[in-house]
Amino acid sequence: MTDTRRQSPSGLRAVTGRIGSIAGHHQSLTILVGLALVGALLPLISAVPPFSGFGTQKDWVGGFADAGVFVLLAVGLNVVVGFAGLLDLGYAAFFAIGAYTYAYGASTFTGLQTPFWIMLVAGAVVAAVFGITLGAPTLRLRGDYLAIVTLGFGEIVPVVALNADTYTRGTNGIVGLAQPNAYGLFGITSFPITNPWPWYITVLGIIAIAFMILYRLEDSRLGRAWVAIREDELAAASMGINTISTKLLAFAIGASTSGLGGVFYAAKLGVVDPTQFHFDVSFTVLAMVVLGGMGNIWGVAVGAFVIFEIQHQGLKQLGAFIQSLNVPVFQVPVLGSVDLGGINFLKFQFLLYGLALVAMMLLRPEGLFPSRQRRHELHEVAEESEEAAEDTSEAVKGA
Amino acid sequence: MSRPRPSLGRWRLPVGAVIALVVAFLIILFGTLIGPEGTIQMTLGRGVQLAETQYINALTVGALYALVALGYTMVYGIIELINFAHGDVWMVGSFASWWVITSLGVSGPITDPVWLVIVLILAFSISMVATGVLGVIIERFAYRPLRNAPRLAPLITAIGVSYILENLIENLISDSIVTIPRPIPNTELNLGLFSIGSVNLFVIIMAVALMAALHLFINRTRLGRAMRSTAADRDAAQLMGVNINQTIAVTFFIGSALAGAAGVVQGLYLGYSQFQIGFYGGLRAFTAAVLGGIGNTTGAAIGGFVIGFLEVTCNVFGYGKWSEAFVFATLVLVLVFRPTGILGQQQGDRA
Amino acid sequence: MKYARVGASLAVLAVVASACSGSTASPAASAAASGAAASGAAGGPAIAVKVGIELPMTGGEAPNGVPTANGVALAISQIQVPGFTITINQQDDALNGKHDPNTGAKNMQTLANDPQVLFVVGPYNSNVAQAEIPVSNAAGLMQCSPANTNPGLTQTWGGVDPKTLRPTNPDKIAYVRTATTDDLQGAAGADIAFNIAKAKTAYVADDTQTYGKGLADVMAADFAKLGGQVVKRDGIPDSTQDFTSYVSSVKGLNPGFVYYGGVTTSGIGLFRAEMANQGLANIPLGGGDGISDGAASVPSSFLQIAGAAGDPNTYSTTAGPHDVASDSTPSATDLATSYKAKFGTEPGAYTAAAYACTQVFLQALKDVGASAGGDLAKLREAIRAYVADPSHTYNTALGTFSFDAAGDTSQKIVSYYTFDPSTKDWKFLQQRDFSKNPLQ
Repeated sequence: MTDTRRQSPSGLRAVTGRIGSIAGHHQSLTILVGLALVGALLPLISAVPPFSGFGTQKDWVGGFADAGVFVLLAVGLNVVVGFAGLLDLGYAAFFAIGAYTYAYGASTFTGLQTPFWIMLVAGAVVAAVFGITLGAPTLRLRGDYLAIVTLGFGEIVPVVALNADTYTRGTNGIVGLAQPNAYGLFGITSFPITNPWPWYITVLGIIAIAFMILYRLEDSRLGRAWVAIREDELAAASMGINTISTKLLAFAIGASTSGLGGVFYAAKLGVVDPTQFHFDVSFTVLAMVVLGGMGNIWGVAVGAFVIFEIQHQGLKQLGAFIQSLNVPVFQVPVLGSVDLGGINFLKFQFLLYGLALVAMMLLRPEGLFPSRQRRHELHEVAEESEEAAEDTSEAVKGA
Repeated sequence: MSRPRPSLGRWRLPVGAVIALVVAFLIILFGTLIGPEGTIQMTLGRGVQLAETQYINALTVGALYALVALGYTMVYGIIELINFAHGDVWMVGSFASWWVITSLGVSGPITDPVWLVIVLILAFSISMVATGVLGVIIERFAYRPLRNAPRLAPLITAIGVSYILENLIENLISDSIVTIPRPIPNTELNLGLFSIGSVNLFVIIMAVALMAALHLFINRTRLGRAMRSTAADRDAAQLMGVNINQTIAVTFFIGSALAGAAGVVQGLYLGYSQFQIGFYGGLRAFTAAVLGGIGNTTGAAIGGFVIGFLEVTCNVFGYGKWSEAFVFATLVLVLVFRPTGILGQQQGDRA
Repeated sequence: MKYARVGASLAVLAVVASACSGSTASPAASAAASGAAASGAAGGPAIAVKVGIELPMTGGEAPNGVPTANGVALAISQIQVPGFTITINQQDDALNGKHDPNTGAKNMQTLANDPQVLFVVGPYNSNVAQAEIPVSNAAGLMQCSPANTNPGLTQTWGGVDPKTLRPTNPDKIAYVRTATTDDLQGAAGADIAFNIAKAKTAYVADDTQTYGKGLADVMAADFAKLGGQVVKRDGIPDSTQDFTSYVSSVKGLNPGFVYYGGVTTSGIGLFRAEMANQGLANIPLGGGDGISDGAASVPSSFLQIAGAAGDPNTYSTTAGPHDVASDSTPSATDLATSYKAKFGTEPGAYTAAAYACTQVFLQALKDVGASAGGDLAKLREAIRAYVADPSHTYNTALGTFSFDAAGDTSQKIVSYYTFDPSTKDWKFLQQRDFSKNPLQ
């Protein structure tokens, strides 16, 4: 196909054009209103028992701001996994790259004091560049080979951050990152560390922008090209889609969303160090995407929120909650007396988390909120993958 | 697009392997001789001696990774699932062997050969059966219900099962390093050309024997044929009368039993276990499976040895802390030039 | 026993956890509270206040956090402050079984948001502290770490001013620590290698983590300063499973001393066992307080993992005096006895330090408690200011010390230990006061 090559710039132009015309569009308004409603309602949870017993409103809002980072990560990964169907197991790398970008841009380590708002864009761009750099040589790999390459990349990034100490301060990490500045808006200049509200509102704003862009993209020519590639790459290529540049864009856009999350995370925490970006983060985000319902932006966001809260609040508070119920000690034949209030649930939080993952997948393999169209497609993909098993016929034969 | 094969034909693999082994030795020897400032730090004779030790270390740990990698590759071959719980099955196997060995009252090297053989047979058979059954249970409850679900659903349950296994061992047995007594006396055996530790020799022979047995099983038995046909085309195999559920269960049993054997080897060779070894160790083994060409059992074995060599080589040159990055960078490079691994089938544009 | 392990039976589920049951007051703390209320002699109702605990309580690091947290519970059960009932607000910074800076920072916010919390004991890990110091500083909530040893938390280190950790109030410290810093333990390691083991060459490795690398870097530099030669400086990642090839390269170098910066869970005991396995048990090995974690009878301690081959030429150090005895505070032995009576296990390496941190708080509360007139916010600041004031001295389970203006302890004592094959435990060798007797 000679014209496949021309496809990419026009795809790009379409994207930038769309991004420019976002304002005032009715779907964007829906997103804004929806997020504003969610954003206003969520903090009220701190008044509702039993949640009221778990912490003050400030605790909850601070937790939601952290959850917001994972919502960003999940919707970004959703572009790669849900839209384009590329399995990425090393997504935390781009998160790390975003965070380190902020550390370079706004800390005493480099002496630069670039404003947070500029660094948000910079973090997204740098992460996107790394996404393309990783994607360019590897995107011709088939499904799970790509997965392991991304997993490898996801491990290389923290190892480099850990061992290249001249450039990253190694295991000590980079400390003293600047807080964002609101320039007097609402009476706030530098974001106070102990007040979670500005952080919460900022992350909601970033999520709103990301949502608008991603919804635009999903409906754009590029979004349809992703679906086409996900469904049948060969057919897509023969329809004139440049599969490489389309996949690269998925990687770049997914990475840039992660970069946004990384910048915000680093600014909120005030320190970056290599231990925070290992592949348990990648796995958690993938679980969020799959649980929420691949391909559905709102669903994925809900999945991220639910898993984050289970991990960070639910499991930790379960013990306190059960204690507060004052369940009397009761007798069980084999076990003897059982005191539910005395069980140390903290020790078993990973057992419970694992059980929750398994149970949720068994009950709703498509995720909590699969979009109807995608649920159908996914089932077809599952059947096709059986055909693809043919490729590995040598699997056992070649041995 | 299939590449024209060199004229070596069926000797291609063995000849390649021998060349690779010789090159690997020369690299390790070079690393051993060269000191931090690029100076030669010891005599050639001593260097060769030390390089031999490192070479054997690499072969032994490679054998360990290869045993684990086989399970990844078999499961992938038959149901296209990256079984992230497999590393933890290995970990459970090592705890099973710890249980067997300590229950038998073993606290150190056993000098009585009969008793040693009995202990080893018990350790291997109990651990392998235990992990095999565990694998079948995991398949039955966590993967089988999702066989027709979206492809990523079982991947998430695999991650969940991995958390469950780790947490159970952590809370019920130990939350830290557990030492496993090493029953095999550690002596240097002189084999003429070079000397090798008795444990290393045992581990390598054991691993190769298990791999050969697996090879025969897959290629010469009825169940092996069922496995191959299921991997090739599940529906067609079912139409031809293959019991799919049973075949997949057998695959899980064998793959997990090999992980159980690897768990025993972990105890014999490294002398410890810990609830988290399945995580990083499993990752390395999985990398080995992909490097060799996932779905291909010979490839998995080769991949295991390659990873072992890469790690040891890194460390010999004094870059041990970079070994993980080096292993993954090699993986990326290999896949860029051979997109389906060392022995993987070239897919071409069939998509 | 350092490791609050759980037996392998299902009955375990019914065990009542002592100091780690959720994030609210623990049973131990409530017991302490009632004792204090009874003695509320100051007149008027006792004021309810809390001491926060911020440590890793779950996963692979529970053995670090649990006995340390118990040290706090023990202190408030033994020492009463008239007019106050003291309970515990406990937080766990482990996520996915590992300490997590973000969780630590979030916990610190939670503690700061609880008006009754006047003081925090923790964290355990230096990289968690880096994320918490900005929060405690902004909240004006004094925290005392029993275990952090990374110099950069209080001193200029690697070119970074500790004030960058305190963007809100750069000149008001809200972080002190009882442990001496890694630079002293590293120096002690060099001292042991050069002067006690009489080694001229050393192989220096670390587990690539903050603590281990800092320790090993200082040791290597100081060993060279003393006139020794570092033959190889290695990094052995804490995820390493197979130590054989590292030990084989030590065999090739044949150094006079092996120094390994890191903690037991990174595998140093396995390294030592492998050295014995390859016939290198005659080479002395040294490490920091990360490996002085109890006798060989303690499961999963360094000595237990290193095995019976353990030789007299194995050395460790701890960041503090060996033992102190005085009238007003329990000695380490008394502390161990009462700890064992209360929790049924041996205390951990930082139990005494956590106890001392709590004593600092209790002394401050005793001295300034009345001044705030029941206003908890004022009281929190009063306690912060009291502890930050370098003129105050504290008589604690660690001995008598004060905090300097940066928040470091005035105690610059490092204790040296060596393995004693007859007791299968660490044997106290000597202690060196680096404030009076620096290296060189």
